Amino acid sequence: MILLRLISWPYFRKHQLRTLLTTAGIVLGVAVFVGMHTANQSVLVAFSETVDRIAGKTELQVTAGETGFGEDVLDRVQSASTVRVAVPVIEAVVDSNIKGQGNLLVLGTDMTGDRSLRDYDLESADEAIVADPLVFLAQPDSLILSKAFAERNHLAVGDRLRLGTVDGQKAFTIRGITKASGLASAFGGNLAIMDIYAAQKMFGRGRTFDRIDLAVKPGVTLADCEHELATLLGPGFQIQPPASRTQQFEAVLKGYSTMVNVSSAFALFIGMFIIYNSFAIAVTQRRSEIGILRALGATQAQIRWLFLGESAALGLLGSFAGLAAGVLIARAIESSVSTIVADVYYVTQRAEEVASNPLLLGLAVAIGIATSLAAAAIPARSAARVDPVRALHKGAYQLLSDRESRTRAMLAGAVGVVSLVCLAAAGSRLVFYAGYALAVVAVPVLLGPVLSLGLARTIRPVLKWVWPVEGALAADSLIQTPRRTSATVIALTLSLALVVGFSGMARASYGSIIDWMNATFNPDLFVSPTPGFNIQTTRFPATMASELAAIPGVGRVQMFRNGRVMFRKAPVTILAIEMSSVAQTARRQPVAGNADEMYRRAAAGEGLIVSNNLAELQRVRLGDVIEVPAPYGLLRLPIVGIIVDYSDQQGTILMDRSVFVKYWHDDSVRDFRVYVAPGATVSEVRQRILERYAGRRQVFVLVNSDLKRYILKIAGQWFGLTSVQVAVAVLVAILGIANTVTVSIIDRRREIGVLQAVGALRGQIRRTIWIEALSVGAIGLMLGFALGAVNLYYILEIVHRDLIGTRLDYQFPLTTVLTLVPTILGAALLAAIWPAESAVRGSLVEALEYE
Amino acid sequence: MNRHEKRHLAATSLAFAALLIPWRHAGAETVTAADNARQIVDEAQKRTTSKSERYEGLLQTFEASGKTSEKRWTFERIGSHGESKSVIRFVAPAEVKGVALLIVNHPDRASDQWMWTPSIERDRRIAIQDRSTRFFGTDFSFEDLEERDVSQYNYTLLGEEAIGGAACWKIRSIPKPGRSSQYTKSIAWIRKDNYAYARVDLYVDDHIVRKLENSSISSVQGIWTARETTMTDLRRGSITRLALDHVEYNLPLKEDRFTLQGIRQQ
Repeated sequence: MILLRLISWPYFRKHQLRTLLTTAGIVLGVAVFVGMHTANQSVLVAFSETVDRIAGKTELQVTAGETGFGEDVLDRVQSASTVRVAVPVIEAVVDSNIKGQGNLLVLGTDMTGDRSLRDYDLESADEAIVADPLVFLAQPDSLILSKAFAERNHLAVGDRLRLGTVDGQKAFTIRGITKASGLASAFGGNLAIMDIYAAQKMFGRGRTFDRIDLAVKPGVTLADCEHELATLLGPGFQIQPPASRTQQFEAVLKGYSTMVNVSSAFALFIGMFIIYNSFAIAVTQRRSEIGILRALGATQAQIRWLFLGESAALGLLGSFAGLAAGVLIARAIESSVSTIVADVYYVTQRAEEVASNPLLLGLAVAIGIATSLAAAAIPARSAARVDPVRALHKGAYQLLSDRESRTRAMLAGAVGVVSLVCLAAAGSRLVFYAGYALAVVAVPVLLGPVLSLGLARTIRPVLKWVWPVEGALAADSLIQTPRRTSATVIALTLSLALVVGFSGMARASYGSIIDWMNATFNPDLFVSPTPGFNIQTTRFPATMASELAAIPGVGRVQMFRNGRVMFRKAPVTILAIEMSSVAQTARRQPVAGNADEMYRRAAAGEGLIVSNNLAELQRVRLGDVIEVPAPYGLLRLPIVGIIVDYSDQQGTILMDRSVFVKYWHDDSVRDFRVYVAPGATVSEVRQRILERYAGRRQVFVLVNSDLKRYILKIAGQWFGLTSVQVAVAVLVAILGIANTVTVSIIDRRREIGVLQAVGALRGQIRRTIWIEALSVGAIGLMLGFALGAVNLYYILEIVHRDLIGTRLDYQFPLTTVLTLVPTILGAALLAAIWPAESAVRGSLVEALEYE
Repeated sequence: MNRHEKRHLAATSLAFAALLIPWRHAGAETVTAADNARQIVDEAQKRTTSKSERYEGLLQTFEASGKTSEKRWTFERIGSHGESKSVIRFVAPAEVKGVALLIVNHPDRASDQWMWTPSIERDRRIAIQDRSTRFFGTDFSFEDLEERDVSQYNYTLLGEEAIGGAACWKIRSIPKPGRSSQYTKSIAWIRKDNYAYARVDLYVDDHIVRKLENSSISSVQGIWTARETTMTDLRRGSITRLALDHVEYNLPLKEDRFTLQGIRQQ
């Protein structure tokens, strides 16, 4: 403590900028970690809270994935001896049609029995909740609004609110307002309640329910009730407590969570390098000071603890600053995360507030301090080992001996071989990820100083040729201090490798998505009940197919229905399509199986087609008989074909529509795909469809290019994470290079002073420093791109093995690389401006007196 | 009062059969040794027999806040004493016109109930799993719509008291074990002169939660009928008043009117 006060504190005060830069490393790592996780968690919490608040006193929920089931299931559930009360529920997300208010979650319930489970405050002292319950049930336009939404929009009982229904825009009458707490605060307060049977009609849900909420009889355990209902209903249903829906949601978000984890782990690791760099520099800067301390009797342990203490203090400081910055990041990206989740996973929710989890924040502080300590461990160790005599020999410690270079190269070679072995024998995830860490982290860390030195020597002639004096001076500075340079270079390399890896994955995914999209989505028009495809809660009746087919100019109409079900405990998507028709219009070549046979058997209801990612993730093959639990029986059919499909990251099962109708008792249609007849134009037919349903149905007609643009927009949102990584890389470049250049200038203060004294112009000094910074950036770019190429390979492997089961094509992201070159070099130049100015504007006398 | 009328003396007859069926009574002169509570109640039930019933009702609810609402309906019933079928059809106000409720009572279990909503052309089964909930905003609960079988309760004669100047037996009824009810007990005042129920207090855990009072009791086709019934919810401070008009008994009503098809078609 005394050493910290007497030695460290004055050092920090004297080198405020460097202290700030060191702390910035940990701020960056913690901020990205907290920001991304908090934004992700906020969305999860919003979903979970909506589930909890809507669940009320519900103890168990009966669901059949997200497809719903027929009304008859309610009678079966209510007949169970262990069930006290069971009420049906449907949920629909609709546009509130109020600017800035977004979507409204409409909860359809049977108010005659539902009040046993949910507190609407209808029975409370506040009699204004619903004016007349009978009128509420008798009039299908009846709506109860949450107090929060009503107040925000100055709505009162008796007012009308226009909402989109399957029959077009309808004016709903507000017949009640619920209080702000509990149920009313679900979905960020944007909640409306209506009669379930009216909701079925309004949202085209036929005679189906989404789920049944229930409470068990007194004295009955949940396990008993689950068991009875499982026996009564069969395997097509899930009987779980409401909280399980959150777990399912988390399972659906698996891919996204993995992306977030990888990104934040990289950010932390990069932050660690910035700290390592700063401390390594500090140790070299303070060698003489350490030498004196050692000469005065300070033990090695005391010196080591001094540096570790400093790093812990900075780690703590940086972590807290990182927490604040992280919450700000979370606030900034939360809506984007919400949109991604809604668009990619079809789970709509409203994350109104940043959910700062104290555990996560505590973990972030701990990680921040641990990272800081880990980063400072090696510099602390080398500080402790400083020989008091050698400490006075300036510069020698920055050199890299040939022997050390050889050792590092040999070690890196050995680690590289081990990583290759791990890759070749990567049966287990642990071995694979160990190999990944060795290849992408250990090898560059070991080779960083050697390669930095080698590249600095390589570019010296070029620099000298372009700028004979400044170029040579800058290159020499780098060659003489490979250790100082390498830490920044490694941080930049890792950061760029992350960007290249993710950009490459995005590019490969884009390519695959575009191929798939072109092969699958070739109808001329898509007729949907909602403006986008992310809301699945409104559907068309099947009878519309014949109406559409009768419109002049319509050549062919296909009905499309999708839904998420649980298959082998994983949420996967089922697509119900008219197989024989699709075989003629959007025939796909299977990756396993024969196309003719596949379509013939699938159309006859004799088989299922699965996506290649489902086959990989669930380890199923062509010919395997799989069991898909459905509400009206166990669907047991062989796989007759495996195709490339990107509908769901967890996998897709395609079946003929007749199979779906038979096993789900649901003939509703999510959207119609329309092919225009020869001779007719797409715009004319589109107009006719709109005119046919004007005022009668809510119909959105998208042309082919609209849909493709929509899909690419979603893909763009998904890969928007890459921009966060680019930002991190730029920050790393600025922080690391600024640090390196600042120290370089301090180290060479006397040298710069001498140069000025013998007549060097300020512009020459300035250019020397700029060139040095640009060289660090350039070396980082070269190594970063090389490591990025390796990282991309591993990321594509992770995508294949653990995320979506699909093997994407390896495509080096040349566009990203070309963008990064000026970006990083610009950042390097930016980072060097202030240090260069301070070098040329400093006192010449002081500089000459330095050391 | 002729012999036919005496056989059909009854108190109020309306949809809220659970409260009303036990209150239908034979003429006082036909009962002897009425000091036994169960006998009084048995006799009352026995004498309420009619093949069918029809009336037009006016339902008024007065909330504690001063807000009032009014609805009109027609009521039809065939059968009686726990095996009846009833249809309530709302006729006013316009927002609820055509809404119908079919109640099929069973002597040994809770009734089955369906509601027909013409605006969405849907019938729904009303699973009154928690039958203590209010019947569409009135002060009656869904349980109050069910007919009770007198054998499902234990009765105790507590004494005699006058209600509105009329001498009454004061009888306590408690659900037998296994018979679920929101009420832990009820105390009824049965008029000695015509066996009409003058008042019923309904208890939950020794607290009166609802109070039903019958008035304007007159004979209709020989059945004593309360023309006005008032239910007070003491917890909410609200009152629901039901007035009966055009009451008829034993009129010819077709069985198929009391089916799901029947309520859809009318």
